[in-house]
Amino acid sequence: MGKIEWAMWANEQALASGLILLTGGIVGVAGQFRGWQFAAYGVAAGVFVCLLEYPRGKRSKGTSVERTGQYCFTVCVKSFGPLTRNYYVRAFLHAALCVPGGFMLATVLGCVCLGISSLIYLGAAIHGEQWMPILPQKEQTRKPVGESIKNPPQNPPPRPPAELRRKRVEDLEGAAYVNPIAVTAND
Amino acid sequence: MVVSVRSWVANEGGKHLVLVLWLGANTWLFLRTFLLYSTGQQYYYLYKMLGLGLCISRASAAVLNLNCSVVLLPMCRSLLTYVRGTHTVSSRKTRRLLDKSKTFHVACGVAICIFSVVHVSAHLVNVVNFSVSYSDDFPALNVARYRGEVRHTLPGVTGVLLVLILFLMFTASSYCIRVSNYEIFWYTHNLFIVFYIILMAAHPPGCLRANQSSPEQQGEELEQSEDEERRCREEAHFQPHCPQTWLWVSGPLCLYCAERFYRYIRSSDPVTIVTVIRHPCNVIELRMLKRDFKARPGQYIVLNCPGVSSFENHPFTLTTCPTENKETFGIHLRVVGDWTERFTELLLPEQGIASEILPMVQQRRYPNNGWVGFRLRRLYFVWVCRELKSFYWFAELLCALHHKLWQENRPDYLNLRLYVSQTDKLQSMSEEKYRPLSSRLLVGRPRWKLLFDEIGKTNKHNRVGVFCCGPKSISRTLHRLCNSARYSGTTFEFNKESFS
Repeated sequence: MGKIEWAMWANEQALASGLILLTGGIVGVAGQFRGWQFAAYGVAAGVFVCLLEYPRGKRSKGTSVERTGQYCFTVCVKSFGPLTRNYYVRAFLHAALCVPGGFMLATVLGCVCLGISSLIYLGAAIHGEQWMPILPQKEQTRKPVGESIKNPPQNPPPRPPAELRRKRVEDLEGAAYVNPIAVTAND
Repeated sequence: MVVSVRSWVANEGGKHLVLVLWLGANTWLFLRTFLLYSTGQQYYYLYKMLGLGLCISRASAAVLNLNCSVVLLPMCRSLLTYVRGTHTVSSRKTRRLLDKSKTFHVACGVAICIFSVVHVSAHLVNVVNFSVSYSDDFPALNVARYRGEVRHTLPGVTGVLLVLILFLMFTASSYCIRVSNYEIFWYTHNLFIVFYIILMAAHPPGCLRANQSSPEQQGEELEQSEDEERRCREEAHFQPHCPQTWLWVSGPLCLYCAERFYRYIRSSDPVTIVTVIRHPCNVIELRMLKRDFKARPGQYIVLNCPGVSSFENHPFTLTTCPTENKETFGIHLRVVGDWTERFTELLLPEQGIASEILPMVQQRRYPNNGWVGFRLRRLYFVWVCRELKSFYWFAELLCALHHKLWQENRPDYLNLRLYVSQTDKLQSMSEEKYRPLSSRLLVGRPRWKLLFDEIGKTNKHNRVGVFCCGPKSISRTLHRLCNSARYSGTTFEFNKESFS
């Protein structure tokens, strides 16, 4: 199968699970279901997971595509250092977050989905992947211009002698000259 | 950028028309089912118990039925190719619409996800309402067995399974996953088989019951406004609801299964690799032979090599099509990922030697019947490469074509523009036989606006087809330029090819 980056898929799944948990929580709270406290927890946990998972990590090989407006989230998530860089931490965090959701019907789907993404994060961590922030590249230093540009040539370019240069109106054939660059039919 | 109405209609009109029709069908189905459940006489008691949740859940289920059946149709690629190839059925507008089948599939998929969310939320509310409205007075009308029960039912459990499968399929289908790890997308998307089996066999509710009124009862209820004392004589009771999903889904599913079977039969014929040629910049040209293989320019084939991987199928555009004189067909493949690397190792075990497995004399023959019958009057070929050596992949073909056109006195038929985008080192093609190419070589990226201006000015009041194969940024720029209004009377029709 080749080198698959599991973390990227786990990230998409975790973001989607956060949204599912959030939606289930909103339905539970709005409908005032029995056990609506779990639904309220689902709302809070869903928002937290979405904020954590929104910034995409950098791919180890190839170009990384950012999500729109993720730069500020990247900065926030990056500031937690190894807590967010390590995928073992994320796996266990998601596993812990998903458990209370299983106690209520409205949030059970979010719980299961978050559990699946936690498993995939565990797989990614076992493969040794890490979360690297996508930061804007610094301006590439321009190649220094060659030194010769500072010394313009002192002499004018060579020309044919003066007799040949003077335009002879009465002698048109003598004024013609051979074009030094060959003109081909292909141009 | 100002949009030209004529160009916009030519490029986007068909797509938007199909979108409007599809949205209209979905809306009509949703509203019809909603009104049926909210005002239908036979659902009176159910509606009283569940309220809005009933109508929304059943209406979204109807929309899901439609989308689950229609989502399979754009994936019947052989069927679409056949329809696209027939001259009687399809005009160029239809052909260009059929090219956008993948977009339609994605639209249906997104609709399935959105309406699944609506459906699940509405059913959550229904479950609560069933248990809240448990009534001791009408024991036959209760679905819950006691107040406050959350009941495990077969549709409930299968519904959760279906949402999980949908979740796995949907999260693996985003653009960045398809581009970086196509296998994840492919293997999770094949879970659709499980999805459809569960959907047809176990999910439709056998126990969500509606009471069916008898005909006399209906008549009496209509007169209720006149006479308030008249009530239904019959005792209300629930009857099983007739599941409809299999009606919607079985047709397209059978069509899709037939299509896969046909593809499997067609692919069971072996293919002989005749020539393998190594080109610079990691490109291999492969010439193959297969019995009864017909193809037209612009089509692509899908390669599967069991020696590398039994389940992976990779698409490649044909660079040589079989003609009446020559049966071999060919592709150029670039060695970029692990499948192509292992494939190349199988074909060319020794490094650095371009070997021919079966030497075969090949002659290039062009159509002899002249250029009159073709609609194409002029071809601008713009090719952008990073390195100069990449142009050697097709250098001979381009030069031969150029010479042939000059000899037939059609010098302006083919306009070649070759661009080298890496400007670091000075490069040039020094061979004499590639003179037509080296004199048309330009350094730097093409300025598309100027190119379009020039083509627009020299081809006024004509239709110009733009065929783009390349990265997204180029195709977006070209799409925008095709729709803009700067060209006097010229319509640019945008087409693009992408495999991810």
